[in-house]
Amino acid sequence: MPKEHAIFVRVTTLLLLLLAVVFAAEPRKIAVYAPQTNYQVDILVRDGVDYVGITDLLEPLGRLESHVDGKKLVLIFNGGAAEFQDGKRQYRTRSNAKLEMLSNFLLVDGRGYIPATSIAQLLPHITDQAAEFHAVARRLFVGASQLHFSAELRHAPSRLVLSFPAPVNPSTLIEKGRIRLLFHREPVVSSGADNVSYNDPFLLNTSFTETPNGAEFVASILQPATVSIGEGGRTVTITAVVQAPPVTAPLGSAQQAAPGGVSTAGAGAQAHPTGERARPFVILDAAHGGYETGSVLSPTLMEKTVNLALAHRLQKELEARGIPVVLTRVADNLLTWDQRAVSANTSHASLYVAIHSSTSGHGVRVYTSMVPPAQPGQSKHSFLPWELAQSPYLEQSGMAASTIAAECTAGGLPVRNSAAPLRPLNSVTIAAVAVEVAPLGSTADELATAEYQQKVAKALASGIASLRGKLEAAE
Amino acid sequence: MISRKLQYVVAALVLSVLAMGFYLVHLKRKAESIGAGPVTQALTAPVNGPAEEMTLYVANDEENALRTATVSSALPRDPGERGRLALHTLIARYEQKDSPHPLVAGADVHDVYLLDQTSAVVNLNAAFAESHRSGIEVEQLTVFSLVRTLKAQLPQLTRVRFLVDGKSRDTLAGHIDLSGWYDVAMVAEASKDLN
Repeated sequence: MPKEHAIFVRVTTLLLLLLAVVFAAEPRKIAVYAPQTNYQVDILVRDGVDYVGITDLLEPLGRLESHVDGKKLVLIFNGGAAEFQDGKRQYRTRSNAKLEMLSNFLLVDGRGYIPATSIAQLLPHITDQAAEFHAVARRLFVGASQLHFSAELRHAPSRLVLSFPAPVNPSTLIEKGRIRLLFHREPVVSSGADNVSYNDPFLLNTSFTETPNGAEFVASILQPATVSIGEGGRTVTITAVVQAPPVTAPLGSAQQAAPGGVSTAGAGAQAHPTGERARPFVILDAAHGGYETGSVLSPTLMEKTVNLALAHRLQKELEARGIPVVLTRVADNLLTWDQRAVSANTSHASLYVAIHSSTSGHGVRVYTSMVPPAQPGQSKHSFLPWELAQSPYLEQSGMAASTIAAECTAGGLPVRNSAAPLRPLNSVTIAAVAVEVAPLGSTADELATAEYQQKVAKALASGIASLRGKLEAAE
Repeated sequence: MISRKLQYVVAALVLSVLAMGFYLVHLKRKAESIGAGPVTQALTAPVNGPAEEMTLYVANDEENALRTATVSSALPRDPGERGRLALHTLIARYEQKDSPHPLVAGADVHDVYLLDQTSAVVNLNAAFAESHRSGIEVEQLTVFSLVRTLKAQLPQLTRVRFLVDGKSRDTLAGHIDLSGWYDVAMVAEASKDLN
């Protein structure tokens, strides 16, 4: 028994030593993402508080000089001075302001340490750059380094398109029922909701989490899928793998009955034999989203929310009329103007409708782009600056605006129709209008009522429906 | 026992405190009444010379329209200063209590720079953009009224660009584009619907 006890004690001690060595070898770190570089700084734990070396943090960000004077550490960063004192919370910045950290400053072996929880507060005073610290994931973003991404579910074929403002190169893990994208190096952050339910035959939901090793995006899928990176790394597309049709398909099936037969029906048509996922006629763009809320319509009502609700109602109205529709966003996520324009230009739709709402005025306003009309010799196939891409489509857009306005008037809504300098209309290469919906009365809450939204959606759907023949003929 | 003399002193002090209190309230009311009054002239350095008529294109939210108004004032000779004074007068009108297109107090234009006779850069202050109401219509009315008022003072103008505190800005308040040049003729054409 004593012998067994001694062995147990030795083994346990050995394991504890091993663990201590492992932890000592890999100290916890903070990942720092700055516009010019990415790097990591070690965490030093003192009295239960996480500290980071101030010189480790600042050196990669600019020109840094430091000297210790007794208990004082003086830093000169890009010409501006900051002064810290060992054991004190207060510090002095270049503007000579006295500020306070959440815990005391530490001076250990001539090196200065600041509490990790105070980084976001302290850094802007020294570097003149904003800083955002995600404490749980231990990720620090300096300046405007964050990459906010957007996710959009598209059809025919079913695919989830993730768009990023800068190139990314995630590690991809394809597992049964889910796809994981791991962003180890890129400062990818959430654009709004971290968990989004789609309840689509292809995509169940998505989730986004940040960890000390980076960020992870997980898509729970119901069909086999592939992952591809496009647009120079700015988009990551998760596409459903369309099952190949059986060679011995019975004659007279939906696909066989289609002109061209199975072999020419195309993947989308095969995935949706009824043809309901055919080329969309209209792309609806609920403006704003994520942290970009648009107008604050009332203390409890944001423009982005009303826009999305209106887009969904309009989608239903159009689909009830047999008009195929796609949406740029289906959830509360942020898209840039360029992402919206790219979505419209690659959707193969005939009409783009941006949806806005406001408390100013009454009824509906329909806007077209205020770009100059196409010059003689310019056509839809000419190369044009991105900001003028709408020029050759102005005539169609004008026709769309006046038709929609006429249907709104017929639907009993006050309506105005004019040109306005609006993004992303200028860069859309199909007929494009923006609609701004205001209440009929004086209260913003009317915009959130199902009755009013339905009235507006019906009028807009009638206008869009009566455009179908005209725009498709023009194409 | 408190002496009668001390009682008189205390009573005099209480009375003077009350009198000063009443006077303070009176001054506060007077100051408020001055602030609420109409702004009758631009808050700029006085300009010597004969009075001239200045046309302002004033936005009206309720009517979704631009209405012209004329103001008589001595105008500077320098075209940039002249443009700045016109925009300043227009903005001052928007800051009045009964404005048909309200802007918050503090909104203003820093400068109007003329690159040549046809191109102007308007440098607005941060309060103008940061406090502006958000919405296509309301932002469009503001920008169009500024462009058309400037054009009325500088007839040779063909394009206008806006900066905020000297920096380029994507939109005025989330909707109307401020990132590029405004073609004055196109603004006039587009604002026909707002007349």
